[in-house]
Amino acid sequence: MSDFSNTLSTLILLSAVLLMACKRTKSYIKSFRLQSFLIALAAGVMGTGNMLKDGQFELIVVCLITIILKVILIPNILIKTEAKVEHKVEKDFILNIPILVIICCVLIVFIYASISNIEGLNEGSVNLQMVNSISIILIGLLFMISRKKAIGQIIGFLVIENGLFVTAMFVTNGMPFVVDMGILIDLLTAVIIMGVMVFKINDKFDSINIDKLRNLKG
Amino acid sequence: MMGLFLLGIPLIAVLLFLIIKENKIQHAISVVTSILLILIAVYLTREVMLFGIVEYSSFGGFFYIDSLSIIVLDIVLVIGFVASVYSIQYMNHEIMHEKIKPKGLRTYYILLYSFIFTMVLALSVKNMGIMWIAIEATTLSSAFLVGFYNNKQSLEAAWKYIIVCSVGIAIALLGITLLHLSSIGVLESRQFLSWTALFDNAGSLKSSIVRLAFIFILIGFGTKAGLAPMHTWLPDAHSQAPSPISALLSGVLLNSAMYGIIRAVAIVNRNLGSSVFTGRLLMGLGILSILTAAVFILTQKDYKRLLAYSSIEHMGIIAVAIGIFSPLSVFGALFHMINHSLTKSMLFLSSGNILQKYNTKQISKITGLLKVLPVSGLAFLIGLFAITGTPPFSIFSSELSIIVSIFQANHLFLGIVVVILLAIVFAGFAVTLFKIFYRKTDEDIPEPGEANIPGTFCIIALLIVITVTGIFMPEGVKNLLNQAQSIITGGLA
Repeated sequence: MSDFSNTLSTLILLSAVLLMACKRTKSYIKSFRLQSFLIALAAGVMGTGNMLKDGQFELIVVCLITIILKVILIPNILIKTEAKVEHKVEKDFILNIPILVIICCVLIVFIYASISNIEGLNEGSVNLQMVNSISIILIGLLFMISRKKAIGQIIGFLVIENGLFVTAMFVTNGMPFVVDMGILIDLLTAVIIMGVMVFKINDKFDSINIDKLRNLKG
Repeated sequence: MMGLFLLGIPLIAVLLFLIIKENKIQHAISVVTSILLILIAVYLTREVMLFGIVEYSSFGGFFYIDSLSIIVLDIVLVIGFVASVYSIQYMNHEIMHEKIKPKGLRTYYILLYSFIFTMVLALSVKNMGIMWIAIEATTLSSAFLVGFYNNKQSLEAAWKYIIVCSVGIAIALLGITLLHLSSIGVLESRQFLSWTALFDNAGSLKSSIVRLAFIFILIGFGTKAGLAPMHTWLPDAHSQAPSPISALLSGVLLNSAMYGIIRAVAIVNRNLGSSVFTGRLLMGLGILSILTAAVFILTQKDYKRLLAYSSIEHMGIIAVAIGIFSPLSVFGALFHMINHSLTKSMLFLSSGNILQKYNTKQISKITGLLKVLPVSGLAFLIGLFAITGTPPFSIFSSELSIIVSIFQANHLFLGIVVVILLAIVFAGFAVTLFKIFYRKTDEDIPEPGEANIPGTFCIIALLIVITVTGIFMPEGVKNLLNQAQSIITGGLA
């Protein structure tokens, strides 16, 4: 079981790096979909394990809702938003993609080093799942600051949220059910609100490049 | 079960706003709702004073109010009431001058009461996970309120607000997950994340993980509370939002986030057995916030931004006081929370009156204020003195007790730095005062006369409250603050 979790969490981490390597908005929405699917898979397998062991079916419900929300609904909202606001292809990232990917690797090593130094977290060997999950959060943050478009920032936020979800799932076997549901509802609302705001920004600024948002200072 | 109405009434109000389209009736619903909420708050405060804790077993026993939450909750509902009364004329004025459409009022009230609902929820739950969900929801419900005017500046402020705060709050969730991790094996599964269970069993949580958790919670909720260097969203959001919303953001939202930090501090200090670890972090962030605010206050040209930076300063003072963690300093911090909220909302409301008269946020373009707005102008003048900690106003007494507690805890250097920074802030405000009130009056000043009469009454009421509590504190408030203080410091002192 732990081998399986290790593999899946590493795959989820890889999907985050893949996301970082995407050039176009559409392709990173696709990568996000892939990542969410992997997370749902992990939740499903762990949920089945829990159910066979002590009859808890909560993680399976979480898995189904994750598929509905993060694999189907949210990417669709984003693709629709993107289709409506995209007039021209602009260069979207501040640093080159190879450099960004190398920074991702440095981040992962950094997290490995930090986590292996915390006592009480690791029993015998370093807690690989935790390293992977926290790396996803940091890669999400890096993604946010490396893209100029508003949609890129939304995706970055979603990746951070995915990282948090994975951390909770692998490390603590899932948050209490009510909390998990609440987080997912918050997430959906957040994406809808941010999507509407992207429209409005596009309306007023004729672009969704956040470099243009420079009126307020001091 | 009265307490559950606290959550039900704002929701019912939101539903009513969805149905009713008449602007006048919407105003009436809003005021009635906020009065009902105040009545429930009075009842709950009495219960808490008598029994210490209000708890219901229905819905999994999620509802939980003790004296710490009732203090912040009362602030929320009082400022909510004031803001709803003030909003009537303020929004009518905006509709008349075509800054918003008549239909916009409905959206405004729906968002306002969802905002109040989420804040009440954050303050009345036992489960720290649900508290996190509610605090995240406050960002979501207020994002459109910040961007309500729908122009370039307000959209920029709203985008910054939602992105910075959502990411910040996400980091707090990582902290809460780690707190959850540290409690596995200690708590039963139905107690997971419950604050009371975590606090009672604080001694057996894994200290190394608790430490890590606290750092993330502090950064996360600190973003929402406006502590530097995560404060960047705050001046923009506060200055671009409609004035009643600025009053709520500054007077209420920052406190709700600070409340989250205080809850975490209580657990962590009890677990570690001392306040050194949390104290260093809180004092560091607190001093940095006061410093940042002082620098920007000195050079500020926009009066709403000036008030926003002053909120960062006061959150910094509260953070330092929580960091000291002696009974006196925690008492001072809670008292300061109340005083800051009342004073700052009064200032934001009077600045709303000024903004509607002069149509500018530039300090240099405001002349003849006392002639144009005799009441709210004077309140603004007195308020600027009060917010810098001039006696006899209440901020003076809470700041004094915080500073005394810093010196009592033998943080000599820290105390001196705080006092010097407060003096710089005072200088910054004094410069603004001179610019506004001691300049030759231009010929073309706007037509004199108060426009927002009910709003001005609210301002006067707040002014009276902050003056009276500066001189004399009612026994009930004192007991409540002491109870809350002993809950927080319970494990240590």
